Amino acid sequence: MARTAVLFTLVATLLVLPSSKSLGGNVAGKANFKGSKPAVSKIRMNADARCMKLHAGKEVSSEQVVVNPNNTLRYVFVYVKKGLEGKKFSIPTEKATLDQRGCMYTPHVFGIMANQPIEIVNSDPTMHNIHALSNNSKGFNIGQPKGVKHVKTFAKPEVMVRVKCDVHSWMACYVGVLDHPFFAVTDGKGNYEIKNLPAGEYELEAWHEKYGAQTMTVKVEAAGTKSVDFTYESK
Amino acid sequence: MSTPLTSQAVEPAPGVRAHHEELSWWRKYVFSTDHKIIALQYAFTSMVFLLFGFMLMVLMRWQLAYPERSIPALPFVIPLGIIGLVVIFIAGVKPSINSLMGLLLLGLGAMVMFLTSGEERMPEGIMLPEFYNSLGAMHGTIMVFLGVVPLAVGAFGNFVIPLQIGAPDMAFPKINAASYWAYFVGGVVMLASFFVPAGAAQSGWTSYPPLAAVTPLSRDVLTGQTMWILGMVFLITSSLLGSINFITTIIQLRTKGLTFMRLPFFVWAQFVTSFLLLLAFPPLEAAAIFQLMDRVVGTSFFLPSGLVLSGTPLNVSGGGNPLLWQHLFWFLAHPEVYVLILPALGIVAEIIANNIRKPLWGYKAMVYSLIFLGFMSFIVWAHHMFLTGMGTVMSAFFQTTTMIISIPSVVILSCLFISLHGGSIRFNTPMLFALVFLPMFGIGGLTGLPLGLATSDIHLHDTYYVIGHFHYVVAPGTLFGLFAGIYYWFPKVSGRRMNELWGKIHFWGTFVCMNVIFFPMLIQGMAGVSRRFYDGGQQYAHAQSVLYLNEVMSIAAWVMAVFQLIFIINFFVCIRKGKKVTENHWQATTLEWAAAPTPPIAHGNFLTRPVVYRGPYEYSVPGHAKDYTPQNQARDV
Repeated sequence: MARTAVLFTLVATLLVLPSSKSLGGNVAGKANFKGSKPAVSKIRMNADARCMKLHAGKEVSSEQVVVNPNNTLRYVFVYVKKGLEGKKFSIPTEKATLDQRGCMYTPHVFGIMANQPIEIVNSDPTMHNIHALSNNSKGFNIGQPKGVKHVKTFAKPEVMVRVKCDVHSWMACYVGVLDHPFFAVTDGKGNYEIKNLPAGEYELEAWHEKYGAQTMTVKVEAAGTKSVDFTYESK
Repeated sequence: MSTPLTSQAVEPAPGVRAHHEELSWWRKYVFSTDHKIIALQYAFTSMVFLLFGFMLMVLMRWQLAYPERSIPALPFVIPLGIIGLVVIFIAGVKPSINSLMGLLLLGLGAMVMFLTSGEERMPEGIMLPEFYNSLGAMHGTIMVFLGVVPLAVGAFGNFVIPLQIGAPDMAFPKINAASYWAYFVGGVVMLASFFVPAGAAQSGWTSYPPLAAVTPLSRDVLTGQTMWILGMVFLITSSLLGSINFITTIIQLRTKGLTFMRLPFFVWAQFVTSFLLLLAFPPLEAAAIFQLMDRVVGTSFFLPSGLVLSGTPLNVSGGGNPLLWQHLFWFLAHPEVYVLILPALGIVAEIIANNIRKPLWGYKAMVYSLIFLGFMSFIVWAHHMFLTGMGTVMSAFFQTTTMIISIPSVVILSCLFISLHGGSIRFNTPMLFALVFLPMFGIGGLTGLPLGLATSDIHLHDTYYVIGHFHYVVAPGTLFGLFAGIYYWFPKVSGRRMNELWGKIHFWGTFVCMNVIFFPMLIQGMAGVSRRFYDGGQQYAHAQSVLYLNEVMSIAAWVMAVFQLIFIINFFVCIRKGKKVTENHWQATTLEWAAAPTPPIAHGNFLTRPVVYRGPYEYSVPGHAKDYTPQNQARDV
């Protein structure tokens, strides 16, 4: 009887292993940027006086290409492209948040799991329109007055889903929709970190809105952190 | 209606089969082929739709006055609930039209509760722009196609025409019933569209492609827009069946002596209206089928090549032309304007002649103008399209025809005005509505002239000026004509009259509110405020100086709703409790009062088929003993 219980526990442990966080390794790195920095394009919000007022008439920089002071690139979406096939991961119940603040999307690039709820918030005193241009899932196109929240999901993986505002032409953001939780976005220092990745060999892809995608292969151990850097060159 | 049409034994009129067997309730009131019952079916159904369409407007007015503020739904729902319960209480437990209407009012209250909730419509009570678009599209569709036209033509035409021409029924009773049921199904399809994902149609009552023809986001076939098209196919079919019936009836079933120039003006108005429906609707039916195919099976009748939607190329075959839809739509929809107005003109002419106690001035001129107007209405449609870039030659042609069509309208209106001169006017409720119809329709018509000129239309196109203009034609215009008709023929239908005091309160309240609602729209439109703004123009600098009018108009709309509740209560109470009337309550000359029993008999309409000896409006004929000489009276008595 005792042997059966031990055996059962062992099998159960092995079954839940892929979603276990304690046995995984980490992948970390940065997205370097080589070459001359492109000129930062400015957004003209003249189309909506309320948006202008939110920035006190100051010009706002576009987030399409953000080169950090340490010559790294921000808003690069890094995720595991291959190596997790057939594995199932639980979908987080907590909502990801997409805010519209200052007539800009916050965050500009982010990732979620398929069917994970996204709460879309309008913090601006003007109406926005959230137009999700999804190829794999059912997109949506909804107007959102101030103070209204919407909760939406994408049913199928897709890298990337473009979300735009049809009212304010400069507003766009990108959502990476995956069937696993192993993704990250480079920050203000160009760094990213993917945690608790099960041991194995993976193909990583880094995607950038302007400079495109590039892939690298990495072998992850059960513990420890592998360093994988990507490098983008100025066009 | 709770007052049954009396089934007294009568001599059948020639050509009418005598059958006195008692029909079941279903055969008698639901699947009836009697023109009077079908008229009542049309009347009650269309009035429910009018009320529903009105409620949609009431919701829209909240959004326009107080954008992005949570709507207090209960003030909108509670009155409907209370009135519904009152009507049921009046009706008692016995199944009747009254109790059915009470349930329908309760259903409307529930519908409003549904509309004012839900993540896709009004999260936390705040109206989403898409839902506002739905309300706009469905308000227009419901008011025009499910409310006003079925009431003006289906109800009044069906009830009054056979009685006024001395006919035992319509020429094709079963087609008549089929016409109502096609209309009913179309209405149900339209209502059901509120419940599909993403809600009812959002492309305006005109359903312009490419917006209306593409399905970029929804992979569902059964969208609100698709259901709108399906509903329209049923409604158009209903109109075609009805118009064939009306034309045949008026030509073939006029009683002995009733020549065309002895026809009451109301019959003439319905006659011309039927031709408009018959000839103008088929192109829209074809267009609706084309658009249905564009949406469902991937054709591109109205979708051009290289169509890009929000920066994304659309996967459509292309090669179509969106303007084709506009031409086909307005080929119907401009004659449709006259379908809306002519029956009301006919009603008003009857009531004015009856209440001035003298003949209409220029009856023949009115009839010829009516016919000319009917012809002309087919060659003015593109004045709705001056801004499509169709060219100056086309614009010049259509603005010329538009100016010409105003002439017969002015002739008819002038004749009615001149008729008042020297009359001994009775200011009863139907007459008040009929009298006020004249200047209101006048304002509606005159404000249309700047829109009919290609140059001034550049500024006014798609502004609130257009909304103000056509509402002056249809709301204080047509609807006042219809109210006049309801008060005028209510005694004919029920054998009782509606309360005069409450009728006059209803009139004055509605008259004042109508003008407070629609006149400011003309001002906003001239300031350049677009009719499409879901927030009434709050975000636009050029609208700021006239924004305060939004609140004024909205309050007037809600006050007007209260006056309509008075009408509804008066209507239902008087069906049972109203003062009983004599056979010819209004001392009228036309056959429905002079020759047909009141309330009317179930089969054959007349105890003996009347013979007509004179024109329709022989009031105050010198030397005659009474101040009215009925059409069927051979000589003065």
